[in-house]
This record gives sequence, structure tokens and C-alpha cells, in this order.
Amino acid sequence: MNQLRALWPYVVRYRWRYIVGILCNAIQIGFTVMVPQVVRVVVNEISTKGIIWDDLVAAALKMLGMAAVVFLFGFLSRVLILGTAHQVEGDVREAMFHRLLILDQKFYGEHHTGDLMTRVTNDISAIRQFFGPGVQQIGAVLMIVSASALMVATNLTLALIVLALLPVVTILFIVVGARMRLIFRKVQDLFGEVSTRVQEDFSGIRTIKAYTQEVQETEEFLRVNERYRAQNVRYVLLSGLLWPIISLVMGIIGSLVLLIGGQQVADGKMTIGDLVLFNSYLAALGWPVVALGWTVDLYQQAVSAAGRLGEVLQRVPSIRNNDDNGGIEHTVTGAIKFHNVGVSVGDGADARWILRHISFEVAEGQTVAIVGATGGGKTTLVNLLARVQDPSEGTISVDGHDIRDIALSSLREGIGYVPQDTFLFSVPVRENVAFGRPDASDEEIERALHISRLSNDVVQLPSGIDTLVGERGVTLSGGQKQRTAIARAVLRDPAILVLDDALSSVDTHTASQILEGLRQFRHGRTAILIAQRIATVRDADLIVLLRDGEIAEQGSHASLLAQGGLYTAMYQRETLADAVDNA
Amino acid sequence: MTFYDDEILGKAYDGRLVRRLMGFVVPYKWSLTAAIVLMIGSASVELIPPYLIRTAIDGPIANRDVAGIWPIFFLYAGTLVFSFLFRYVQTYMMQSMSQRIIIDIRMTIFRHIQSMSLSFFDHNPVGRLLTRITNDVDALNDFITQGTVALLGDLVRLLFIVVTMLVLSWRLALVSFCIFPVVILSTIIFQRIMRTTYRVMRQRLARINAYLNEQITGVLVTQLFRREESSRTFFSTISKEYLQSQFRSNNTFAVFFPTIYVTSVLASAVLLTLGGNLVLGDYVTIGLLVAFIQYTDQAFQPIRQLADRYNTLQSAMASSERVFRVLDTPAEIVDPVAPLELATPVRGEITFDNVVFGYNPEEPVLKGVSFTIPAGQAVAVVGATGAGKTSLVSLMARFYEIQQGAILLDGIDIRSLRQHDLRSHVGAVPQDPTCFSGTIRDNIRLHNTLISDAQVQAAAEISGAATFIDKLPGTYDYEVRERGSNLSVGQRQLLAFARAMAFNPEVMLILDEATSSVDTETEQIMQVAVQRLLKGRTSLVIAHRLSTIRYVDRILVLHRGKLVEDGTHDELLALNGYYARLYRLQYAEQFGGQIPE
Repeated sequence: MNQLRALWPYVVRYRWRYIVGILCNAIQIGFTVMVPQVVRVVVNEISTKGIIWDDLVAAALKMLGMAAVVFLFGFLSRVLILGTAHQVEGDVREAMFHRLLILDQKFYGEHHTGDLMTRVTNDISAIRQFFGPGVQQIGAVLMIVSASALMVATNLTLALIVLALLPVVTILFIVVGARMRLIFRKVQDLFGEVSTRVQEDFSGIRTIKAYTQEVQETEEFLRVNERYRAQNVRYVLLSGLLWPIISLVMGIIGSLVLLIGGQQVADGKMTIGDLVLFNSYLAALGWPVVALGWTVDLYQQAVSAAGRLGEVLQRVPSIRNNDDNGGIEHTVTGAIKFHNVGVSVGDGADARWILRHISFEVAEGQTVAIVGATGGGKTTLVNLLARVQDPSEGTISVDGHDIRDIALSSLREGIGYVPQDTFLFSVPVRENVAFGRPDASDEEIERALHISRLSNDVVQLPSGIDTLVGERGVTLSGGQKQRTAIARAVLRDPAILVLDDALSSVDTHTASQILEGLRQFRHGRTAILIAQRIATVRDADLIVLLRDGEIAEQGSHASLLAQGGLYTAMYQRETLADAVDNA
Repeated sequence: MTFYDDEILGKAYDGRLVRRLMGFVVPYKWSLTAAIVLMIGSASVELIPPYLIRTAIDGPIANRDVAGIWPIFFLYAGTLVFSFLFRYVQTYMMQSMSQRIIIDIRMTIFRHIQSMSLSFFDHNPVGRLLTRITNDVDALNDFITQGTVALLGDLVRLLFIVVTMLVLSWRLALVSFCIFPVVILSTIIFQRIMRTTYRVMRQRLARINAYLNEQITGVLVTQLFRREESSRTFFSTISKEYLQSQFRSNNTFAVFFPTIYVTSVLASAVLLTLGGNLVLGDYVTIGLLVAFIQYTDQAFQPIRQLADRYNTLQSAMASSERVFRVLDTPAEIVDPVAPLELATPVRGEITFDNVVFGYNPEEPVLKGVSFTIPAGQAVAVVGATGAGKTSLVSLMARFYEIQQGAILLDGIDIRSLRQHDLRSHVGAVPQDPTCFSGTIRDNIRLHNTLISDAQVQAAAEISGAATFIDKLPGTYDYEVRERGSNLSVGQRQLLAFARAMAFNPEVMLILDEATSSVDTETEQIMQVAVQRLLKGRTSLVIAHRLSTIRYVDRILVLHRGKLVEDGTHDELLALNGYYARLYRLQYAEQFGGQIPE
């Protein structure tokens, strides 16, 4: 119940609809249980032949009148209760999405996309099931109570037999259902394996074929399929059992009613109409007793779903505006200062510094390059600037303000970031480029495309700049994607441009053209470039060499070479190792 | 994923497709027959309980014979047990049969797709192929289970009930039949509305899922570019659209379910009046009237389900259409009927004889390329992007079919060899290193059990991959995640080299992509690996890095699909032609300085 509290606000706002819906449901049930009473009287009168045609018609019309009321209130209660549950589902879905949009990378590091997708789809639908059909089962309880009372009033012995046996159905449903769910999860896991194998095999088809592993892969696929089948058969053993065994139990109860009720009728203690009445109630109770078990199930699923939803809904983003002043609005001009910045991961004894003692300064309009081996902390360092994450110690300031005091929106507005892993949306190229500036003019877009050397590629696409990117559209090459990301950042006209190894998939010739274009564009702007090779960044105003999370050396290319330290060694290795023996 | 797979709906029955589908059922015809027999048994047994109620009411109850009810009770309970057994065994048999059929169909598609040439994979995204093999196969299975046995079951049940009613009392039967049109009509109308409603709902949900997936994956970009607000607005719009379709579906159900109730009350009312009148006129007994109320209710179920089956059949037909389209796509590259055998040991001499090739035949990438590489020679191919270098490797492994000319291995045209034979001697190290989920060891030897653990380790050591493998937790048992996401690009490349080394082919084809995202240290290890791979075997290296060139015996220069220069590094520099220009240009770009003399 505690977990469900996270969702309470989304339900309470519709309390009136629920209350009216439940009332309608009660009226519906009230009339439903009255119909068999009419049948009882008619059957008795037919069996004693104490009725005439006109009375039969009158009784039939009475039944139909009651059915009409049931229809109306049944309709209303469904629209009110189930419809509102859809509304709740929609509200929670939007709330989840809004929360996801403001959560930080730390959160996304803890949760896979698939996991989050499941929460927004399956978990929300579990909530809807509970607050819709689950609530509606209040009607099932009313049905059981009223039909039981009417059975007791008709014949106590028979009623007691029926009421003693009906819980068996509920228990059966709960027990078999729980076991089914357990096995079903395994079935789904194995299905996941089947899909994964297909996906891996076809994505890596070149490798499979190159190493002639088709037969082995087929055998492997068959094995996975066989395991999936075996688990499925286990599932079927149970799921195939559930409904037949419930009808068996219901049937046995019916046969007992026939036996004992029949004997009482034969004895003259009960009328034939009473017997028909019991049969009708028994038929009417079939679903409600199952529904009780089902509701238990819905409740359990809703509680665990609510727990997972609450985790997201109540999560406070760690990267947010300063709580005291809400963030200063400031137009970034581009002076950057890192002062004794450190980032650690893990806690307690496992804590490990991935960046430490980082201090350097970049004046407005300067270019700083960050070099060093993979895993040295280069990406983490630039991420700190855009507050993708915050440092564990030290301060970073932009134009003299601690970046944690600047409004997140102002800060990021001033930064054009090209991340290492390019992400494009499945929208036309134009929208991808204009992502940060939806109002950009054609000329501005054209210029951004030119700087990133994408113009020629775009012309060759089926619909030019309006070509859709991604699964449904064209698949861009790695280099084209990176260049689109560069155009996207350039178009924003940022005060600070950050390129995180953004030319790795671009061939060397084009890369140098882009660098040349950026050199002009960078004029008057601050730029931070991460590079694997010194050659690409040797003309930077400041080069920072990172090694194991600390600054090993910093300075200009010339001054670093003059030092003859690590940087020099790295540069020489780069030149020498790649040099072609021209002897 | 399959978010966007459009639903094409057509006929619910297509004889041609059904016949092909039934081909998959033939091996299980005896299971199927047994299931059908059980189904008929179950349908017959279900007719008994209402009849027993009639017997009880008109017999012992009417005659005040208390003891006379016992035999009827035992019969009744016995019937229920039989009915339970029939139903359970039938469901179980049907399901386990259908699970086997699923595997058969799935394996057929899998084998077929796997046998396709690479151009097929270029045109069909993996997501689409996955849908064929999973969702579409499930739809086919629905057809086999629901379309055959269950459909037959519904018809048989309905028929049995109708006949029983007619036999017991044609007068009461006619009264009952009055209600049938109401049930049939209301069900059909409901199905019509729901079919479109469901389709719209599914499409809108798919849209939400696709958008959500993309937004979660790219959330950092949205945040960095300050687009949270517009994402919110858009999501809100599509979420509300979906909500509207949910409301529509809910309203339809809110009418339909009470309608079912009303029809059943209507049936009772009509039977009680008209039937009651027949009882009063002594045409039928009161017991029979009670039994008829039950029979009528029993008849409604198959009628409603028949309407449901229509949808299943329709989507199964659409699925089988798609599946057969894949199965009917002929493999572009097939083994010859009478393949030639390579003389062992394979020497590894390669000849390209006037080869013309284009991924699209109208735009040739290679325009008549001829050269011979003697056994044991290491050759590098250089040229600008788009010169056709990559195609050379793909063609040598016969991933694609050439349009003109011939490619020979040890003097034999590769088209007269089995693909398996060719590729077990010609190893291609792809430029995009593929990793599979599984251990490091599995990734090196794949599923080839002929490669021992010792060989795996030896291959890893020679290729330099052992350096990083030894540092992994569990070393060779370290679990590589899907797409190798827990390894760096450099590590994946070293793993690919180790794999090539483990398979140890006579001819080695290497695509050496310029990987500037690899640090200098890893790169040095990789250079040593390439050098070792080349040693003493025929090899074709597509060189992007100039450094690779120093280990080769000879350089081929491709320019716009033609072989323009051929010789050693020194010879080509002395020639002062295209290679010399390319070399200086690239060198200047890579090092930005003077070429060391």
C-alpha cells in the first residue's frame, strides 16, 4: 500500500467519478440479482400451471425492463470507472515522461532504456488495470454478498454448501495463477534469448559467413528454441489447466445443487423455481469468485509497479538549479576556470578518483585541447562544464560565476556540445541540424552544413535536407552522423564549442577540412577539443595532457615540447610509430 | 524494434497461402487428428449436463423419488470429469504440437535468411527480419491453432447444440433460434467497430513507444540543446491521442458487455413466455424448458468466438504473406550443382581477372580490375574513399556476386567452389569488429568446437589481445555483452584479430579502418597484430593507415574503380604518380609536418 501512495494524487483528483461509478455499479448489481427472482416465480407457476399467457408476457417485460436498467448502469459504471482509469494512466504517463526529461545522467547510468520503457508501458498499464478493472471488482464483492444473502433466504442448507465450496475456485485461481506468472516470466526471458540470437546473428552475418559458422549458428539457434519450447510446454501444462479445472469445480458445485436441491424439491421442501434460482445464482457467481482472485493478482502487480514508478516520479534530479536563488540568468561569453576540480565514483572504501586536482583557465575566445590516453578522464572533464554531472570537489566557473549558480538553461544555451557518441533523432536531416535552433533560417542551416562539410552528402540523399534519418529513413554513415552533430552544435552559435573526439569516424582528409572550417568559425569563441592525436590540436592556445585523471602537463604545443616530458614523448611516439619507412 | 511495422490487412482466407501453411502441419497429422477427435468428444460431452437436468426435473423430482436423483448425480459428475479431461488433454496436445510447428517454421526462415547474400542484409534492416522470425511466426501459429482446430471446434459445438435442440423439441428449438440473429448481428457490429479501433490504438501506442525509446536514448541531447519543453508538448499530444482511442474502445466495450447480458435475459424471457406457453399447452415439459435455457446460452459462445476468429485469420494471412515473401526470395549466391574441390594444401594464389562489380549494377564500383597475387605475398590496397577497396575483400570472400570477369583461388573460379570451402580458406577480418554475447573464448572461436582452448589462447597471445584479456575478471570466461558494449573499440578489434588467427586461413583479407578513437598504445599493439597476421600467407590489406603499408610486399593503387598503379612503396614513390601524391597528402594531414627523409 505504501508504494501505491506515490500514485495517490493521480487517482484522488478523479474521486467523484469513481464514487458515482461505484454507485452505478451497485445499482447494476442490485437489478442483476433481481432478474432470477422473476424467473423463479414464473418457473414455479409454469410447473403448477397456475399462469396464463398475459402473465407470462408481463413477467418477460418485467425481466427486460430490469435488463434495460442493468444495461444503462452497467454502461455508466464502465465509462466512469474504466474510462477514468485510462485517464489516470495517461496522467501518470505524462508525469513519468516529464520526470525522465529532467533526470540526470547518473540516473540514466543506473537504468537501462529497456527498463525505463517497461516502466512507462507495462508498469503504467498494471496501474490502470488495478484502478480500472480492480476497482470495478467492488461490484464482484457486492454481487457475491447480495446473491449469497438471497440464496440463504431461499434455502439455508443449499446456500451453505454453495458458499462453502465457492472459495475453492478463488484459491485455485490465486495458486495456479501465481505459479503461471512465475513460469511465464521464464518463458519471456527465453523468448528474449531467441530474439537476441536472431538479432546478433543477422547483425554479425558478415562474421558468421566469413568464418563459415552458419551450421553451428543454426544448431545454436535450434538449441535456444528448444529450451524456449520446453518452458512453454511447462507453461501450457498449467495455463491449459486453469479454466478447465475452474469449470470442473463450478460444475461439481452445480451437481451438488442438483442432487441436494433436487431431493429437497422431491421431498416438497423446496420448489422447482428455487432450484432454477440456485442454478442462476451459481452461474452468476462464477466470474465474481474468479475476479476476487484476479483482483488480488492485480493488486500485487500494481504495488510492485507503483514502487517502480515511484522510484522515477519521486526522484529528484541531482543536476538542478541552485535551490536558493533558482539560478542566475546569464548570457555566457566564454571565460572558463577549473579550480581544483575532482570527480570520484563509488563510496567508502571503493571510492576512486577519476579526475583530481584539475585546475586551468581559458580566456574568452581561446581554444583548449585535452589529450591523453583512453580512460584518462577527458570526456568526464568536458561533461562537467555543461553540468552533465557535477564535480565531487572544487569549482568550475564560467565568466566568473560558479556554474552551479547559473541557471541550467542559460549555461547550456551558451554551449554547443558535440558528444563522442553521436545521437540523431529519426526526423529529417534539417530538423536534426536545427535541433537547438528550430527558428534557424535556410541560410544559417546552409552555413552550418558547409562548416561541417555535410553539404555534398546532403545533396546526394533521396530528398536532400528533408530526408528522414534512422530506421524508417536513410541510415547515415558514422562520419555523416558526426558531421550532422557538428552542424547541429555550430548552428546554435554558442559562446563555447565543445568537441569530444567528434571526428573519429570522419576520414582524415575531410577531418582536416572541417577543422579548417571550424578554425574560422571558432574565431572569437571559446573552444574545447578532445583529441586522440596531437596533430589535430597542436595549434590550440592551451593543451592539457591528462594522465590517470590528473593533469600531467599543460601549456602550448611549443612550450610542452620544450619541456621534453610526457607530451613530447607522446608526440614523438605518434609521429614515429606512424611514420612510413621511406628508406 | 517493430514499432513501425505497418499492418496490411487483406483477406481472411487465401487458399494458396493456407495450402503452404498446412505443409508445416503435415508432419504432425496424427497429433492433429487426435486433437480433433478429443475436441469432438469434448463437444459431445458438453451436451449431456442440460439433458441430465431435464431428466432429473421431469423424472425423480416430478415423481417425488428422492433416491432416484443419485444415479443422475453420478452421471452428471462423471460427465464433468470427462469433459475436464477432454478439454485439458486437447489443449495440451494442441499447444505442444503448435510449439513444435513454431520451431519448424522459425528454423526454416532462419536458415533461409542466413543463406542469403550480403546484399539482402544491406536492404533488409535486422529489426524487420526479427519481426518475421518472431511476431509473424506467432501469427502463423495462431492460424494453425485457432484457424484450424478451434474454428472447427466452434462449428462442431454449434452444430451439435442446434441438432440436439431440434431432436429434443423442434418447437422450443425454433423459439431459441429467434434469438440467434440478435447475437450474430450484435457481435458482428461490435467486431467491425473494434477492429478499426484496435488498429488505431495499436498504431498510436507504437508511436508513443517509438518516441519514448528515442527520447530516453537521446535525453542528453535534448537537455543540452534545451528542447525539454517541446519534447513535453509533443509527448503530451501523442499521449492524449492514444488516450482518445482508449476511450473509444472503452465506450464500445461499455456498450457491448451489457448487450451480452441483455441478449441472454432476452433469450430467457422469450423462452419463458413462448416456451412456457408450450409447457402450459403440454407440448413440452418444464424440465426440457430449463434445459433449453442452458442450451441457448451454450450456443452463444461459439457464435461470438467465430467472429473473433475472423480477426485472427486476417492477421495470420497478412503475416504468412510476409513470411512467404521472404522464403520466396531466392538466394542470390548459391553453390554450384557439381562443385570443384580445391587441391590440398591450398596455396593461396589469388587472381582477379577483369572484374566488374557494383552494389547497384548500373553504378559499377570496380570497372575491370585485374591482378594476380602469388601465394604467400602480402599486398596492400590503397586509394581514396569510394575507390572500391572494400569491395575487393567482399568479392574475394564471395559475399557479393561479380557482374563480369572472374576471381580465381589457386586457379579455380571461386564460383565453382562451395561457399563453405572457399571461406574456410579465405578469412576476412571485417572492418567493423563484431562481438557476440557470450564469453571472450566464444567470441574468438565462435561456435567452432574444433578450436581448442589452447588454440584460443595461442591466437589471443599472437594477436596481442591476451594483454587486455588477462586483465579482465575471469579472463577468457569474461562475459561480453550484446554488441560488445562492455569492450572498447580497440579491444573489439584485437578480438577480431584473435578470431582470424584462431581460424588460421591460408588467405587473409583485412580491412584496416582508420580508428582514430584508439589510443596510441593500443594502436601499436594492433600494428604488431597486423604484421603477424600477414606473415607468410597470401593477404590483401585494405590500408587506411600508412603505417600498415610498411609490412607489405606490394601495393595496389585503386582509383575510381580501376587499378592505376602496382608496385612496391619505393617503386611507386619513384614513379611519382597517384600513389606518391596520395602519400604526401595523407602524410601531411596526419602529421602536419615535413615528410621525414
